[in-house]
Amino acid sequence: MKHTTTVSILLVALVLAAVLLAGCAEQQAQPQDVKIGAVVSLTGAGSNVGKHMKQSAEMAVSEINAKGGVFVKAYNKKLPITLIVTDDETKPDSGVKAVTKLTSEDNVDVLVGGYSSGVTTATQGVVAEKKVPYVVTGASSPDITRRKDVDTSYFFHYCPTTAMYGEYTTLFTDQVIRPAINQKFNFTENRPLRLAILYQDSAYGKGVLSGVISAITTKNLNIQIVSNQSFKLGEVDFRTALTAIKAEKPDVIYPAAFPSEQTQIVVQARRDVNLNTIILAVETNDNPDYYKGIARFGEYSILESRFSPFTSPPSSVAAADAKFKADYMAKYGSFPDMMGVSTYEGVYVAAQAIENAGTLDKTAVRDALAQLRMPQFVEAIKDGFITFSPDYREVQFELFMTQLIWDEQAGECRPKIVWPDTVKETDFVLPDWYQPGTQ
Amino acid sequence: MALEFDILLQVLFWGLYAGCIYILLATGLNLIFGVMKIVNFAHGELLMLGAYITATVFALSGLNPYAIILLTMLVLGLVGIVIERLCFRPILGTGKLNEIFLSLGLIYVFQNGVALIWGDERQVLNSPYQTVTVPVGAIQLPLDYIIIIVVTVLILAGLSLLLRKTSLGKAIRATSQNRKGAMIVGINVERMDMISFGIGSALAAAAGTLWVVSGQVFNPYIGSIPAIKAFSIVILGGLGSIPGAIVGGLLYGIAENGAAYFLGGIWKDSISFLILIIVLIFRPTGLFGESGE
Repeated sequence: MKHTTTVSILLVALVLAAVLLAGCAEQQAQPQDVKIGAVVSLTGAGSNVGKHMKQSAEMAVSEINAKGGVFVKAYNKKLPITLIVTDDETKPDSGVKAVTKLTSEDNVDVLVGGYSSGVTTATQGVVAEKKVPYVVTGASSPDITRRKDVDTSYFFHYCPTTAMYGEYTTLFTDQVIRPAINQKFNFTENRPLRLAILYQDSAYGKGVLSGVISAITTKNLNIQIVSNQSFKLGEVDFRTALTAIKAEKPDVIYPAAFPSEQTQIVVQARRDVNLNTIILAVETNDNPDYYKGIARFGEYSILESRFSPFTSPPSSVAAADAKFKADYMAKYGSFPDMMGVSTYEGVYVAAQAIENAGTLDKTAVRDALAQLRMPQFVEAIKDGFITFSPDYREVQFELFMTQLIWDEQAGECRPKIVWPDTVKETDFVLPDWYQPGTQ
Repeated sequence: MALEFDILLQVLFWGLYAGCIYILLATGLNLIFGVMKIVNFAHGELLMLGAYITATVFALSGLNPYAIILLTMLVLGLVGIVIERLCFRPILGTGKLNEIFLSLGLIYVFQNGVALIWGDERQVLNSPYQTVTVPVGAIQLPLDYIIIIVVTVLILAGLSLLLRKTSLGKAIRATSQNRKGAMIVGINVERMDMISFGIGSALAAAAGTLWVVSGQVFNPYIGSIPAIKAFSIVILGGLGSIPGAIVGGLLYGIAENGAAYFLGGIWKDSISFLILIIVLIFRPTGLFGESGE
């Protein structure tokens, strides 16, 4: 009997202890902050972009925290954001390590960033397993939200895809550059424009290549791809590839490269290989280091963009655009870049989704991102609202094309918007030194 | 794919230019290995240091960057002597693992040190001749690359004269061929170690100067890939063989650019190692190596 009583007392004590401990655990589980993991490339081929992505994310967090943080209804209070930045080194294996750390050790609530498509693609398995919402602000391969071999439902594409800007740039080439060449050299309308593509051997580069091919095919454009050359990520010597392109007599060259690569492509094409042609550039090159690196060799080249450190199209977000640039300059003493502003906005998008979800539950935040309707604020978005498409969770940005013109005062090239007509500052110019591929 | 003579000539020219950087790096590495029998994995970082010193002196003085090469070689030669005396000499003969980990440690020391002093952003130097070209047949060759090839030939000729015609050079060669024998005939082999390391480092410095003068971007991490290639060239040409390093460097430069032209840019690195594998199958000691080395 005595033994039974002792056991009963012990059991009651155990239950009480369990209840008390559960209470403590519940108290401890109430978060003190919102953890956002920023995946950026601080070293490697994407480092000059990664620096701006990191700084822009930090700026957004500092602004949000200055207003008290993110209101989370479940806790009935505002929580400050803690930003945890990791370097993916622009390498797939390092990217996997970085994302594993953020999702497993740091237990972040949301991920923001991702620059290289190849690196981001490699990390998707980890993110899918951990089911962490990821606002991708740099990696532009459409596969990121469209591939079928992993669960991509937690990925939200907050940047145009290679298919979108590949098509846009090809349309510009067809509608603006081709007529200008035909007019200047008295070519007939049915002469096809000779396009050469020099692409990074990665999901990004291949995405641009297929975007261009798709645009030419589906829109029946009078453009002939005369050469397509690939190069490995981080390449610095493009002389032979450009010599091979020169041998095919192109009218225009479209590289799909990061700024560190594109800078060398432009300089080596014009200085070393004497390619007197128009060179196009993908929007990721709208980065202050690019303007500095290409020096005068980049004059008259074309840069597709949606945010430029040195110009902005007339739009309802022009004031916000100017404020962002001024704030960034005041905080970091340098001009911002395009991927940086996406990441800045990406942090705000993530914060808004958490506020809308009213909880830090990852599935609820994912659902809130899917249903997000948020007014545009720095970059111009089609229809003026940030919404992710229901099929592949992509946002439709307003794009524009700039031509780089030498600015004596700056000692660097500066962009002038040349397309579309609704926002253009000046007409596209074929320079005197330009030589078409064939007569 | 067009097979015009002019285009092929231009590809060959790019191969020669790339070969020059490889030759300078591999020759220095081979000289050090030949005398000391050590492998310095931080050799590429000496190229990187050479690049930064050149760019800094150029920015501060406005001197012709090709004149700066002598200063860079002198500075890096002294740095090499310090590295040999402080780092490698104490561990010489204590085992290969010590040498390997020491040189791997030096890589981080140099990379982080340079990042601390100059920052880790990519930089570029604009040569005063960057817009000057020389017509060769139907193609225009940039003057900078022609100068780079000529400078490399002059440096190699100077090295050859030093090694073959001077008593110092003969002592270095003797130490390289038979260290004990050299000691017996009164050669101060430790002094030869120091001088060889200094010369090898100066050659890497010259590669660094030519790297930046050609307009290549540079940051604290540029040394790793050229160093790996240089090691591979040393093995291809034969351990300790300077003619082997020269032939290997040229072969790599031309093969890489030929592969990039005919097969595509992604084959550039693969072709180098494919050549190495093929050569080692038929000549395990390398092109100019002797068995037992």
